[in-house]
Amino acid sequence: MKKRPNLLWLLAPYVLYLGTLPLVDRVHPTVLGLPFLFFWLLLATLLTPAAVFLAWRGDRKRGRA
Amino acid sequence: MSGDAAVASAIFGGFMLLTVALGLLAVRGHGRTTGLAEWSVGGRSLGTVFIWVLMAGEGYTSFSYLGAAGWGYNHGAPVLYVIAYMSCGYALGYVVGPTLWSYARRHGLVTITDMVAHRYGRPWLGTAVAILVTVCLLPYIQLQITGMGVVVSTISYGAISLNWAYFIAFAVTTGFVVVSGLRGSAWVSVLKDLMVIVTLGFLAVYVPLHYFDGYGPFLDRIVAEKPDWLTFTGHGGSGLGGSWYVTTSFLNSLTVVIFPTTVAGYLGARNADALRRNAMLLPFYNVLLFVPMLLGMAAIFVVPGLTGAGSNLALFKLVVDSLPAWAVGVIGVAAALSSIVPMAVFMLVIGTMWGKSVLGAIPRLAARPDRQKTAAQVVVVAAGTLALVLTYTEPNTLVRLSLISYEGMAQLVPMILLGLVWRRMTLWGAVSGLAAGGALVCWLVFTGHDPVWGVNAGAVALVVNLAVALAVSFWGPRTADARPDEEVLASDPGRDPDRDAGGDTDPMGGVVSGAVYHRND
Repeated sequence: MKKRPNLLWLLAPYVLYLGTLPLVDRVHPTVLGLPFLFFWLLLATLLTPAAVFLAWRGDRKRGRA
Repeated sequence: MSGDAAVASAIFGGFMLLTVALGLLAVRGHGRTTGLAEWSVGGRSLGTVFIWVLMAGEGYTSFSYLGAAGWGYNHGAPVLYVIAYMSCGYALGYVVGPTLWSYARRHGLVTITDMVAHRYGRPWLGTAVAILVTVCLLPYIQLQITGMGVVVSTISYGAISLNWAYFIAFAVTTGFVVVSGLRGSAWVSVLKDLMVIVTLGFLAVYVPLHYFDGYGPFLDRIVAEKPDWLTFTGHGGSGLGGSWYVTTSFLNSLTVVIFPTTVAGYLGARNADALRRNAMLLPFYNVLLFVPMLLGMAAIFVVPGLTGAGSNLALFKLVVDSLPAWAVGVIGVAAALSSIVPMAVFMLVIGTMWGKSVLGAIPRLAARPDRQKTAAQVVVVAAGTLALVLTYTEPNTLVRLSLISYEGMAQLVPMILLGLVWRRMTLWGAVSGLAAGGALVCWLVFTGHDPVWGVNAGAVALVVNLAVALAVSFWGPRTADARPDEEVLASDPGRDPDRDAGGDTDPMGGVVSGAVYHRND
């Protein structure tokens, strides 16, 4: 892990889905009509690939695939 | 048979024939390759696209159509744990996938029980774990059979009886997986994912428009009238609160990366980078899971009063109620394929484990991969038949077992994940931890203490499991193992091994090119 700090990005979904739950477990405000909890988890679902991409890009830069 | 029933049944029947044909075609050009690795893990030759299709195919089971909609209907928010654990598990797979893949490749292993036997240097441990995992997987096969049964019976407007539908599920799946193994499953997954994406995409747009004049009014109504569905603990005193959601999602995200069917997908990859790319691409598939959950909640307004198993049909009640027969048939096919693909891989994994780790431990089979493959194929049929017969005769036995399936499988996490990176984990440490965690999870679940103190019982058992495994490893008996660390432990391969790996296994290249290239699970 010391040699690949970029892997810390893989913890992002754990933070988005699980760590933030106490803050996002609510109906209001609604976003685009979606209750807030559902909006947040949809956002997390779209951001997870981005987080894994950042981990992957870090490996690429280091010459690992 | 009414006109509607005939149309829907004919479409369903046609697609089932297509499924078997596709599954069998997959093996063309590879059929003469004997040996377990070609059948069990597709010759370790699948590229990014096939891996994506297959892994998405495995992950999106009949639960997605039935259970997800049913939970959404009954409880609402708690069902979101499915999306959470799958996304976290896919991200974790970025590291775990390549690690297991390179370990298996280096040592010629085809399944997790094989890895366990290699890591701890004890074939009997592989045998024991294989039996344990089989007990955990059989209920899943039955769940797919019954899931497909109710779907087929519903979409045929009752023309196909439940018992016949169960049999069709078994026959279609066995029909191709015995011959073409993982590769056939990947090919069928292509059809499945295509149909799932199209039908769910369509339903996501159509249902709110048809019943509520669009998303705005639908969402407004649910926020105004059903707010208790929209946060934890959800509706109906489920007892599934935020702490249950967090512990379950966390536990399942660790379990899914060592789940034998996931690992079968990992091992099928041509190189490690295909797995890393998939870790990026797979979470997108989870967006589709929101659809049955939302539609299940829409059904609260349209078909109120479903209870028990009936709520699992929340989604299909809407479909049958609002669409013409041909569309009902097509959507039914997508749901049926969502049972067939996971069932195929479950059966494949059971066959592989037995061929290699149970029957393969018999001296006469030990050095004969061709005979191991035959043995594995026989076990596939036997396991499927057993699940089918139990579905008819003792449905409740497997339902009870399914309660501990996932949480029981989670107890393998220390033995496999920790054991593969930490040399000091001893054989007896791993075994004691597994025994303690397994016993605790059985006791908690079967005495009705899941969740326990609001926390997933499997997670509690995993903590105990880990503590016991560490304690026994530090202070318990040591068994001599002279092999060097490189032989015993696994690590994430760097880039160069990938390149090497890409060079020598090409057989899939020709098949895949121009077709599909991912696998999702």
